[in-house]
Amino acid sequence: MTLLSVRNLKVSFDTETGVVEAVRGVSFDLGRERLGIVGESGSGKTMTGRSVLRLIRPPGRIEADEMRFDGVDLMGASETQMRALRGRRIAMVMQDPKYSLNPVMKVGAQLMEGLRQRDGLTRAAAHIKAVEALEAVQIRDPERVMLAYPHELSGGMGQRVMIAMMLIPNPDLLIADEPTSALDVTVQAEVLAILDGLVRDRGMGLIFISHDLRLVARFCDRVLVMYRGKIVEELAARDLLHARHPYTQGLLNCLPRIGGPRQPLPGLDRSADWAV
Amino acid sequence: MALIEIENLSVTYRSKGRSVTAVESVSLGVEARQSFGLVGESGSGKSTILRAICGLAPVTGGTIRIGGDLVPTPRGRAFSARVQMVFQDPYASLHPRHTLDRTLSEPLAIHGIGQTDARVMQALDDVGLPQSFRFRYPHQLSGGQRQRVAIARALMLRPEILLLDEPTSALDASVQAETLNLLNRLRTERGLTFLMVSHDLAVIDHMCDRILVMQNGRAVEELSRQDLASAKMKTDYARSLFSASADRMLEP
Ligand SMILES: Nc1ncnc2c1ncn2[C@@H]1O[C@H](COP(=O)(O)OP(=O)(O)OP(=O)(O)O)[C@@H](O)[C@H]1O
Ligand SMILES: Nc1ncnc2c1ncn2[C@@H]1O[C@H](COP(=O)(O)OP(=O)(O)OP(=O)(O)O)[C@@H](O)[C@H]1O
Ligand SMILES: [Mg+2]
Ligand SMILES: [Mg+2]
Repeated sequence: MTLLSVRNLKVSFDTETGVVEAVRGVSFDLGRERLGIVGESGSGKTMTGRSVLRLIRPPGRIEADEMRFDGVDLMGASETQMRALRGRRIAMVMQDPKYSLNPVMKVGAQLMEGLRQRDGLTRAAAHIKAVEALEAVQIRDPERVMLAYPHELSGGMGQRVMIAMMLIPNPDLLIADEPTSALDVTVQAEVLAILDGLVRDRGMGLIFISHDLRLVARFCDRVLVMYRGKIVEELAARDLLHARHPYTQGLLNCLPRIGGPRQPLPGLDRSADWAV
Repeated sequence: MALIEIENLSVTYRSKGRSVTAVESVSLGVEARQSFGLVGESGSGKSTILRAICGLAPVTGGTIRIGGDLVPTPRGRAFSARVQMVFQDPYASLHPRHTLDRTLSEPLAIHGIGQTDARVMQALDDVGLPQSFRFRYPHQLSGGQRQRVAIARALMLRPEILLLDEPTSALDASVQAETLNLLNRLRTERGLTFLMVSHDLAVIDHMCDRILVMQNGRAVEELSRQDLASAKMKTDYARSLFSASADRMLEP
């Protein structure tokens, strides 16, 4: 079943030095599955994710032939309708967690805000839920973290607080932009298990944006590979490490390996046909 | 004698009656021209150690020496010419209203160094950013592009020691490769010393000679690169990190 469909999405920015086309005609469908988006830095992954929530600030512009979420026309929706969707039905874990947390509000208050206002929970009940959410993402000392301000968290703790916060309203679609890049491998595995459970048990749709090709290969169902604002390849995640497209192969070749040689890592050959 | 010597370092953050001991009696030594890796649990105190070296964390015990001398407080200009840090969070560490040009030229101005134009262009080039980006603001860049600016800025003063906090976790495979190659080239050419944090054991293995594994504020185990690659760790925690990195091993 299709939860989200995107047709010919374009994002452009007018800058002093001309128009920057960040996304150039991206189309995809998402079901209740784990869809990975990979591709080099600047290829338009974040802008694609933000477009779904219509979170592109001027001078940025979004155009699309169609962008539909669970029957709602996202291009035609009013700003009020979009606000009602954001966070509750479509949530996004931003690439930079601390930037999207309120710097002058305690973590606990931020986690409890929605629970109290949206779900009408009592203070005590909201507190219990929030602590549970922190425990689920492997925060060692949840009561302490509830009282902390965002700048008092480590990089990976900020990332986990964001994930906890986005998952509290049980969204139908989660867009996670580099959600585990600051996590060590064992904590990362626990966080991925939570996301996996939500897709499997609750039928949540997940867009998982990541640079980590090996992680995407083992965690996602399907992968879109982006290059300069376009999707250059779409494949089953299990095939990612044996991708045929020279760009995807090029990215894979650049990776260091434990026990590998100390020579300079191979770069990406940008002179090839696909690069133009 | 090691170039960076940390002995029994403890750091406790305090605010309004609450206190968090982020680092507890950690010791490590980094030889000149060596590259030393810090790995471990999220929240275990890795960034705090780097920040303590720069005078940005409340040290409550132990000593930090560079080249045999205790680091001065405040650290001062001579220190920043010698030691530079690339922060984990490239968004927070770049001034939102400064163009890349200003971000990169400011350290030069503070230290009274000329040839600003040439050095800024060279720095952009070194980290693979097009020169047309020179007058962009941070919000006009992608996450990985910002991280490259942060690395370029740390290199402006040609420091001897680089403290690198997750320098490539925001970068794609190709830019990561270019950045790691650049860092290694600079280490050889300019005799740099690195103390770096990364969650990616393949990156640590590629870059570092020695590795300290941390958990919950404490040093758990120190390993050589050979120990890591041949799975010769002694503690359960270090082994669990290694096992969970199975997808990064060289295929036999
Ligand atoms: N406000 C802006 N003005 C001009 N260009 C912009 C602006 N915001 C983003 N861009 C450009 O849009 C392109 C796509 O950016 P996006 O953030 O989607 O990349 P990304 O694939 O998420 O990269 P990364 O992996 O580094 O986060 C980049 O080249 C970026 O420089
Ligand atoms: N300014 C601060 N005030 C209070 N506590 C802090 C502050 N900065 C860090 N901490 C705490 O110190 C501990 C160690 O944080 P640190 O940032 O050093 O961890 P880290 O090992 O770098 O983790 P990560 O891998 O997630 O970045 C954490 O529990 C964190 O909450
Ligand atoms: Mg991005
Ligand atoms: Mg850190």
